[in-house]
Amino acid sequence: MYKYRAEITKGEEIRYISHLDYAGVMERAIRRAKLPAAYSEGFNPHIKMAFASALSLGVISDAEYMDFELTKSLCQPEVFEKLSRALPEGVKLLRLKPVREPKPCKGKKHKALMAEVEEAEYELLLPMTEGAAWDSAVAAVKAYNEAKEAFVHRVTPKTDKLIETKQYMLQPVKLSMAGALLKLHMDIAITQTGSVKPGEVLELLAGEYGLPGDTGRVLIRRTAMKGQGRPLIDLV
Amino acid sequence: MIINLEPEILQAVEKPARYTGHELNAVHKDWDGVTCHFALALPDVYEVGMSNLGLKILYEVLNSREDTACERVYAPWVDMEAAMRERDIPLFSLESFHAIKDFDFLGFSLQYEMIYSNILNMLDLAGIHIWSRDRGEDEPFVVGGGPCVYNTEPIADFFDFFIVGEGEELIGEVAALFSQWQGAGRPDGRRGFLKRVACLDGIYVPSFYQVTYNEQGLFASIEPTEPEARPVIYKRLIKDMDAVPFVEKPVLPYIDIVHDRIMLELFRGCTRGCRFCQAGTSYRPIRERSRKRLRELARRLVDSTGYNEMSLTSLSSADYSCLGELVDDLFADFKDEKVSFSLPSLRIDSFSIDLAHKMQQVRKSGLTFAPEAGTQRLRDVINKGVTEENLMGAVEAAFRQGWKQVKLYFMMGLPTETDEDVVGIARLAEKVAQKYKEVTGKWGVTVTISVSCFVPKPHTPFQWYGQVSREEFERRQRLLRSSIKERAVKFNYHEASVSVLEGAIARGDRRISQVIYQAWQDGAKFDGWTDHFKNDVWLAAFEKCGIDLTLYNQRTRERGEKLPWEHTTPGVSKEFLLREYKKALAGELTEDCRRGKCSACGVCPSLEAKIVDWRREHV
Repeated sequence: MYKYRAEITKGEEIRYISHLDYAGVMERAIRRAKLPAAYSEGFNPHIKMAFASALSLGVISDAEYMDFELTKSLCQPEVFEKLSRALPEGVKLLRLKPVREPKPCKGKKHKALMAEVEEAEYELLLPMTEGAAWDSAVAAVKAYNEAKEAFVHRVTPKTDKLIETKQYMLQPVKLSMAGALLKLHMDIAITQTGSVKPGEVLELLAGEYGLPGDTGRVLIRRTAMKGQGRPLIDLV
Repeated sequence: MIINLEPEILQAVEKPARYTGHELNAVHKDWDGVTCHFALALPDVYEVGMSNLGLKILYEVLNSREDTACERVYAPWVDMEAAMRERDIPLFSLESFHAIKDFDFLGFSLQYEMIYSNILNMLDLAGIHIWSRDRGEDEPFVVGGGPCVYNTEPIADFFDFFIVGEGEELIGEVAALFSQWQGAGRPDGRRGFLKRVACLDGIYVPSFYQVTYNEQGLFASIEPTEPEARPVIYKRLIKDMDAVPFVEKPVLPYIDIVHDRIMLELFRGCTRGCRFCQAGTSYRPIRERSRKRLRELARRLVDSTGYNEMSLTSLSSADYSCLGELVDDLFADFKDEKVSFSLPSLRIDSFSIDLAHKMQQVRKSGLTFAPEAGTQRLRDVINKGVTEENLMGAVEAAFRQGWKQVKLYFMMGLPTETDEDVVGIARLAEKVAQKYKEVTGKWGVTVTISVSCFVPKPHTPFQWYGQVSREEFERRQRLLRSSIKERAVKFNYHEASVSVLEGAIARGDRRISQVIYQAWQDGAKFDGWTDHFKNDVWLAAFEKCGIDLTLYNQRTRERGEKLPWEHTTPGVSKEFLLREYKKALAGELTEDCRRGKCSACGVCPSLEAKIVDWRREHV
């Protein structure tokens, strides 16, 4: 089997599709591209593919990563060209590299993509509450950055728990203005035991620290996903 | 007007990708570069609408025209509707996001009666007048097509015109006529166009007819009031299925839809002659695509979509004359691409089981059969040419192949049904369960019986028959439940209240439109969705309009009575239907005309149509 790693985007056009649907989009694109895909065994064979980290519905991304396997070793330009042409609006193939497996004498195979992710960076844009002062936004972010602990309540149909967010913040949250919008930058750790979503941190900033922003209208973009401080595509 | 949806709306609704478009193969044309703007709608949610094969075909046919841009629109789910109403956002299309009101046509696919309230709701959301008589020069023409056109009367006053029958040729003629009329400066306005379009074969313009009722308050006549209007509108029909365009690049949804796979249409029509079945009379005669053409289409569809599932679609796919060979071809063609194939319906015989076994390879997901009635007597009444022996043979073959789940479809309330027939459903299901024990020597089978309430439909031999009341349906459901002794048999049934309402609307006349309007005003929508169906609203609407619904559903019509749906016809003659009704009551069978004797239904002569069967010489 010949494995490739793709750096792809999730654009505005498909902002509102789930991670599972996104995976389906990519699987169909690989088939349309007529690449000799490797399939899983079993009664319901799927293309052997893996993603780095699920992206929430409503979040776009400049840096998604997908590993997939082919049964033939094709040269990079051919795979790049064929896959690019088969992609729908909303997905762009930025970079593609064959995954070089370590020599058999060194033992182990290349680490799984999911296990390589250590951090993700996000940019959040949201309108400032009307009449609010810039200073209060600065103060809110500062207070959050200086807090030792900050808990967010995560409620899903399956879970209901308190999550301490600061442990995942690799850098202080940065605040700036982009036109009339507030712009936040977050660098969040993704660990084997968990992580926090940028939307959850925002909820905390607005709810508990008084960030004067209209969180209902936030647009979130993942700008990078890294392992060992480098983009995941550079780890192969 | 172009609609721009704010993220705060999209973030707040369920499945926002229903409303954001940009799917692969969606066609985006320059709005000002075309003369005809056609919005195609299905009055249900995106996932249902996107699964409709007819609309996929029409979308490609219309977009292949240089003068036309065809775009899609579906019913927003209730959460989105609330958000749109709150912010005054009108209904919009999924390609250019133009307001639907900006289009020249709004075409609705009419799949079943219980979706009519959604049509009104969509018109209202679009800001288009609900009643066709109120529409102004700048409003779109509201067009209907699909299975419900064989009785358009209950919704006739909401539509400007209907396309009767198969639309892939006719819809292009409508678009061409529109471009011509538009180019000529819209002579005689809206009415001028309707007069022109009424001249096309298969077009029904309801406002060009006068309806009368007799002293008993029953429908008496419908007469043309304009020279262009024909007394009877025959369905349009495709004579050569190989020559007509099919879907080659379907719009590929980003989210999971109801039928999220390729639909390869093998043929149209089914002449097995089940007497309850409207599709059986309305799509006659059988017209098959050739194996060669199907193979080509399958290749193009896999290439344009990347799907790895394909459904071999038709009314009774196992009847395709070259099915075994076709399946072999397809298996060979798509071996490396891991495409799997499925048949939506199975015939009750071992050929079907062998084929299903081959198609599913090893996975045994469960088999579905439709004996329709519990006793041989009643199966003969409905002309379901299936015996208990056939069914036992089929399930025996299935159990030998390893299947452990069988689903059986039945109908309750068929003409002449007795308690013995109802109990017969339980007995038959139990025999199937015992067959499993006999074949495998162990227990562990699940036999699910799914029992619907029979709704008599126009242009079928049972169109005269008075439907069973709700109370009686419910009594028979209780009787059946108490008759099931075997634990392996699971019983599913449909709400009788929906079926009796459907019974009233399906055979309604123009006066029913007032009831539909009233029910919609009082909050009826998504009536096909159990959670949203409001029976009391509907019953109150009948009451408010002073209309007795039992006159429409429970009343057995006189043989000589004028029926309000006879002027839009699939071509089967009334004499044939009456003959079949009489044979039904006598328990006599009628042969499938495809290979057997012609039953003189009238379709072939009245439409100059021919059976196309690749196994048999063309007749």
